[in-house]
Amino acid sequence: MKTKLIGLGLLAAVVIAAVIYAAVGRSRAVTEINGYVGGEKIGFLEDQEVREIIKDRYDLTIDYSKAGSIDMLTADPEGRSFLFPSNSTALELYEQMNGDPVKSEIIFNTPIVLYTRSAVAEALIAEGIASEQDGVRHVDMEKLTEYIEAGKTWAEIGIPELYGSITVGTTDPTKSNSGNMFAGLLANTLSGGVAGAEDLPEILPRLQAIFTKLGYMESSSSDLFDQFLKTGMGAKPLIAGYESQLLEFAAENPDTWEQIKGDIVMLYPTPTVWSSHVYIALDEAGTAGIDALLDEDVQRLAWEKHGFRTGLYDAPADVEHFGVPGLAKEITQVAPMPGAGVMEEIIKALQ
Amino acid sequence: MKIRKLGKRLTALLLTALLLAAVLPGCGFGGGSDVEAEREADTVLGSGSRVLRIISGSENKELEPIIEEFADEEGVRIEMTYQGSLDIMRLLEEDEIPYDAVWPASSLWLSVGDTGHRIKHAESVSVTPVVFGIRMSLAEELGFTGREVSVNDLLSAIRDGKLKFCMTSATQSNSGASAYIGFLYALLGNPEVITSEDLQDEELKTQIRELLSGVDRSSGSSDWLKDMFLEGDYDAMVNYECLIIQANEQLEARGEEPLYTVYPYDGLSLADSPLGYVDNGDDGIEELFLEFQEYLLSGETQNEIQRTGRRSGYTGINEENRDVFREDWGVQPDRILSPIKMPEADVLLECLNLYQTDFKKPSLNVYCLDYSSSMSGEGNEQLVEAMEQLLIQENAEKNFLQASENEINILIPFNGEVIGVYRAEGSGSELEELYDVVKDQRVGGGTDMYAAATEGLHLLAGYDLSRYTPAIILLTDGQSGGYFQDFEDAYEALGEEVPVFSIMFGDADEYQLEELAEYTNARVFDGRENLTEAFRSVKGYN
Repeated sequence: MKTKLIGLGLLAAVVIAAVIYAAVGRSRAVTEINGYVGGEKIGFLEDQEVREIIKDRYDLTIDYSKAGSIDMLTADPEGRSFLFPSNSTALELYEQMNGDPVKSEIIFNTPIVLYTRSAVAEALIAEGIASEQDGVRHVDMEKLTEYIEAGKTWAEIGIPELYGSITVGTTDPTKSNSGNMFAGLLANTLSGGVAGAEDLPEILPRLQAIFTKLGYMESSSSDLFDQFLKTGMGAKPLIAGYESQLLEFAAENPDTWEQIKGDIVMLYPTPTVWSSHVYIALDEAGTAGIDALLDEDVQRLAWEKHGFRTGLYDAPADVEHFGVPGLAKEITQVAPMPGAGVMEEIIKALQ
Repeated sequence: MKIRKLGKRLTALLLTALLLAAVLPGCGFGGGSDVEAEREADTVLGSGSRVLRIISGSENKELEPIIEEFADEEGVRIEMTYQGSLDIMRLLEEDEIPYDAVWPASSLWLSVGDTGHRIKHAESVSVTPVVFGIRMSLAEELGFTGREVSVNDLLSAIRDGKLKFCMTSATQSNSGASAYIGFLYALLGNPEVITSEDLQDEELKTQIRELLSGVDRSSGSSDWLKDMFLEGDYDAMVNYECLIIQANEQLEARGEEPLYTVYPYDGLSLADSPLGYVDNGDDGIEELFLEFQEYLLSGETQNEIQRTGRRSGYTGINEENRDVFREDWGVQPDRILSPIKMPEADVLLECLNLYQTDFKKPSLNVYCLDYSSSMSGEGNEQLVEAMEQLLIQENAEKNFLQASENEINILIPFNGEVIGVYRAEGSGSELEELYDVVKDQRVGGGTDMYAAATEGLHLLAGYDLSRYTPAIILLTDGQSGGYFQDFEDAYEALGEEVPVFSIMFGDADEYQLEELAEYTNARVFDGRENLTEAFRSVKGYN
């Protein structure tokens, strides 16, 4: 009896000691880094599988605050080890402001696309603004911009249920990346090629006119996309976003996606621009994030669960598993973004 | 002996374990962050050591049973504090946010306020448009049923004196702000967006003043506007579709005429009800927040939320909920809700300032303030401090509570009798002089709030009340002498609906105050926790 009790006591002691050891051991080994992240990558960074791989293999947890890709450049860097904006222009601007970062690396890419509802897509196709090829829909940016600048209304293209004139809802281009990149895309469209400094006098007033029409703009792409899905066709008939947003939504909410996929349409601008998600380490601790995010399995999860295209830019990807109709296997028609200097002028003009 | 020794060691180990658990982050159950909550919650749902403190728009009061279900099931405590969406916006600009989650009516206020990027995981819980609810027979008479109605249609009915309506204050509540922006927009001839230059237009100024003169009663909160509407005799209100539906359910239960829902097609706005997490750095609370959010967004709960008249989910109104969105009430469950574009943040704030200082129907406030002996010391200090926030315009402006040019403020300090009457017109020096009176008035004597309120009514009789939004704001800290009957007689003689808002302080008799509030279709604010806050709220109602 006595020995039995002692045995139990010992066992308990060992268990408790083990628990404490594990707790202390873990809390010591794992480094937590904190930085600013564009809203569209939050689902990826919150992914338990991703977090576990990063924790187990790299002894790291990545914490973040949400901030627009442009906003984060001027946000308070106190206590932040990295920035994770969504375009390489942000990196160029960072370099202009602060010189070379400790380290930086492109983690993955996703093209800018437009999202709309099937009724609007049909009207756009009937109007010759959009077209379909092998099940993938494209939007003719030049023609769409013409309609926007002319102030054509939705009613004029056959959708009287929609109030007001044709616009593309975007995030605030002076604060957030998808809006900023869409402004770059529009600048290219208005210049008939990649917009350069010489095009600015001509295109800046036109860009201002287009964006002024939008009034209040969201400062985060994920909020805009959430509103697109939830407030319905009337509130957000046509928005600019990332291809990854819909892929992630479909992967995370298969049942809901099954119900609404007949109504949600993705349109690829021709040409589009790449949103390159570049990780900028602000200090030594921050550099650990790069290796972790480039881990083979993390990269695989980034595509399969969150829709970010990894690896080579134009490598065809396996698209079947998303169950998203109209998802392009490869993105072939892409133009570079205007240079950082030009983008800076554009942001200034839109402020 | 050996056992005892081991036992001791075991105890020591256990103690260490407990200590470690308390020290290691994420292991303890966080009962809120270190920041002391500024005021007590309005409603506490469930109980437990895990606490989630939410600051929310008042429209979510209707969701309390759904929230409580979660709290009970999970054994957690959810504290709901209700404030206007604009208050929530201003809160987000503060250094410290003493809540774990924010739940305003519209994401507009989140994005405008959250300049410090402290809100995470914000997701829309449901959507409801801001609409006009008009008494069925009146809506028919005005020809607003069964057809598309523009803001200008509504405006001409208001101009012709055929339609009076209630709406919340545009500087305090989202539904009022949305409707007001819709009005501006229509009066400007539906431009793409409202610009700063547009607001300088003299014709617009005249028209919007004229339009807002049709506002019967105002309120600082949408849910209370609905309650007030149900207690009074009004023709119409601007409110959320979901609250019109709920008002109708009650009207119908009482055998009264329901409201017809009018969606102004060129001035519509949507409330998307975003619930976001305030990142104060506590993982335990973040986890609880996410569990709560997941519960709200689950298919089953979304369906329950839909049954309260909110548009939830991704696929429109379910077949089984069609009986809630009744088409005979003018509700259009399948309508494509196409809202106007909100102006950019700077212009939006300019619109709100103009509303407060110029466009809205001027307020006529009668402050009856208790200077009886029991107020001496701390009570009086708090009163002076609170009035400083309202009367000194530099302070008032921070909360969009500044006076307008034509506003009238009357001060009646009282004890066992009326001590004096002081008036201030406009927003200039007279108003700040009132503050000197508040500060310098000596304390002493008994309490008769009825005498003061009755004096207020006599004074109001000297004004053309159709030009003002009148209210008596009464602060008292003790059992009142005098007679309710005297007040009642004066009220009937005046023959106008003037709300008597009261602020309960010290040992005030809640029954006496409730009686006044009920009789005048007003409400009682609790100033015992935070008097300044109570004065601010009450001013938001007028």
